[in-house]
Amino acid sequence: MSFNPTRARRSAFAVAAAGLLLTTAACGSSNDASGSSGDANAKVTMTLWTNSTTGPGVQFFKDAATAFHTQHPNVTIKVQSVQNEDYDGKLQTALQAGKGSAPDIMFQRGGGKMLAMVQAGQLGELTLSGDASSNISTGAQSIFQADGKTYGVPLSITPEGIWYSTDLFKKAGLTGTPTTIADLTSDAAKLQAAGTPLAVGGKDGWPAAHWYYMFAVRDCSQDALNKAASSAQFADPCFLQAGKDLGTFVATKPFEKDAFNTAAQGSAASTAGLLANHKVAGELMGAWEPGVVGDLTPDKKPLADLGYFPFPSTVDGKGDATAMMEGADGYSCSAWAPQQCNEFLNFLATADQESKYATAFSAIPANKAAQGSVTDAASKAALEAANNAKYSVLFLDTLFGSNIGNALNTAVVNFMSGQSSDPQSIVDAVNNASTKG
Amino acid sequence: MSETPQVTSALASSLDTTTVGGGADAVSPPAAVAGRPPRARASRRERLEITLLSGPAIVVFVAFVILPVIAAFYYGFYRWKGYGPPSDFIGLHNYRVILTDPEFHRAVLHNVEIAGLSLLIQGPLAILLALLLNREMRGRSIIRVLVFVPWVVSEVIAGTGLSLMLPVNGAINALLTNLHVFGHVEVQWLGPHLGLWTLMAILTWKYLGFAVILLMAGLQNIPEELYEAASIDGASYWQMQRNITLPLLGPTIRIWAFLSIIGALQLFDLPWIVWGEFNLDRDGVSTMATYMAHYGPRTGLYGYGNAVAVVLFVISLIVALLYQRFVLRRDISGSVTDGGRR
Repeated sequence: MSFNPTRARRSAFAVAAAGLLLTTAACGSSNDASGSSGDANAKVTMTLWTNSTTGPGVQFFKDAATAFHTQHPNVTIKVQSVQNEDYDGKLQTALQAGKGSAPDIMFQRGGGKMLAMVQAGQLGELTLSGDASSNISTGAQSIFQADGKTYGVPLSITPEGIWYSTDLFKKAGLTGTPTTIADLTSDAAKLQAAGTPLAVGGKDGWPAAHWYYMFAVRDCSQDALNKAASSAQFADPCFLQAGKDLGTFVATKPFEKDAFNTAAQGSAASTAGLLANHKVAGELMGAWEPGVVGDLTPDKKPLADLGYFPFPSTVDGKGDATAMMEGADGYSCSAWAPQQCNEFLNFLATADQESKYATAFSAIPANKAAQGSVTDAASKAALEAANNAKYSVLFLDTLFGSNIGNALNTAVVNFMSGQSSDPQSIVDAVNNASTKG
Repeated sequence: MSETPQVTSALASSLDTTTVGGGADAVSPPAAVAGRPPRARASRRERLEITLLSGPAIVVFVAFVILPVIAAFYYGFYRWKGYGPPSDFIGLHNYRVILTDPEFHRAVLHNVEIAGLSLLIQGPLAILLALLLNREMRGRSIIRVLVFVPWVVSEVIAGTGLSLMLPVNGAINALLTNLHVFGHVEVQWLGPHLGLWTLMAILTWKYLGFAVILLMAGLQNIPEELYEAASIDGASYWQMQRNITLPLLGPTIRIWAFLSIIGALQLFDLPWIVWGEFNLDRDGVSTMATYMAHYGPRTGLYGYGNAVAVVLFVISLIVALLYQRFVLRRDISGSVTDGGRR
């Protein structure tokens, strides 16, 4: 094949520098410089694109825009909500069209996709306020950094783990939550026997892939994950081991019937809907789960008996047993946005705004000073696990960007659903992903 | 998706020519009656009329069919994630990867299977239904509605409904279980063994109405006198259908088959929605279009996706041209070969 692999590797390296992993549970440096220069009094109108379409979510941004307008009467912000599944495509088109079409402020997930926007010169560099940079963990900040520069402000973090119904666990005769894969396997068998198994929304791909990600986080050392992200290659044998461990677990048939024709969210028949209606006992998800499940309960209220436990540890795993996988939801400024955009994002990152955001979205705020607003037991447990993590890893598909991420997700689905029986196929899929241009 | 327009392209070009030919014919007689030198005046009016009538169609055709096809060719030569202008020129690399990818081969095979099975299943069924519905009979309007409604329902709505009914835990198995005839039913309708046949059942249900409409329109054009003459000669009902209806319905059947083949080659929405992106290949219902969406925009590989679109376009074009050359030639000979030249 004639293409040049160094290019793929170089951009993967930038991803590593950018979104990658690994915060040592930590405090950030106080880098105080609020970005305001030039004529701050000229009348400015900015557009904001959010992927939230629900009442409280949109209302949060409208309120924030009004509050900011009160502080800065010359700045008006127009909130526009774009359906989540349409969001990436519409944003990409608008950014391609550039000035005039691109939103000034936009929802941002970070990782490989953000890196592509940075490399195309479509995002504006940001300066975090002292409050934001000291109160938001460096791990969450790093998701929105590329080459040491900041391009987004995190509003919430989404630590991963198993969200379960405490009632159904009790009914199946389980007393505690599992801490090893062996425990999880025997618990899953009891849950299956009780008619309320664990669930996975295989139809959407990524929920199944998250199982592999978590096995990789447990089986691979921090160093091996770093190297994989910078080289875009699964070179360390731990990635094959993660596939083998996943295969052993899946062979015990822990999941619901016909899991690969079940979607993850959105209807009563989805895994979140099944959990909300006590038809399945739990699933592996990020911390958006309480909100998603709450929307699908019969009375549209949060699931009362929702619990959380972190992913159990594997035998001889090289990864730290406390290591966390997570993502973050944040906001960026386009390259054409006025300077007030930066100020507005710092305003959103204040503890006051982030706790309002957390309430509106049932999310865990990124700003530590706002984390007291997390009240439900499951989210609290997830937050505690995230704060105790020795280091954390970005969701692998976000980290690698959609190119390698999609190849990885496809390979994991094929492996878990039995189309391919060899865990090596997952490793090969990642290593060969860059052949397609 | 950029592949949809070329159905129109083949039809549009033949229709365009037909319109132009008809227009010219209609203009000539008055010119001759007027007694002046007919050539100059007629040709100026002719040209004006040709421009006015075909201009808008040509503009739309170029802007929304030709230019996108050229753009797809262009982007297909790049490694491009869709951010910023494409800059990493990789020549024919994408085409080499596509043509050697076993997953793409399977997708093409599924397209061929779907096209063939559609003709074999829907063709005879549609002819029988059209003949049936063409007769005066009790309950005819109900049957008509039942046949046509699925065709009118949007693919997305039908697909979403079916994707909730067909899984193992879905309504169809529950219904079969509740009949208490088969015991506890857990059929994997969407699984690798039944997938293709489930898809064929869905497609037949969905598109049979279209075939029946076309064929019923064709039946209207068969002169009643032929049947009268045949019945005077003592022909039976079935003899009449075989010796009058079927041969005279030929052109309609051939056009329907053409549309059906092109539709099968470009099939996207129903399998994508009912099975879901990650299940298509395993369950044997992936198509070239779903392959394109999966490895193009969904993977953020816009260069690669465009190259797949070009391959899909070329395959469809070749099939369309061969079909026109060898099957449709007789039916359209008057309009295409010498239209407008008289």
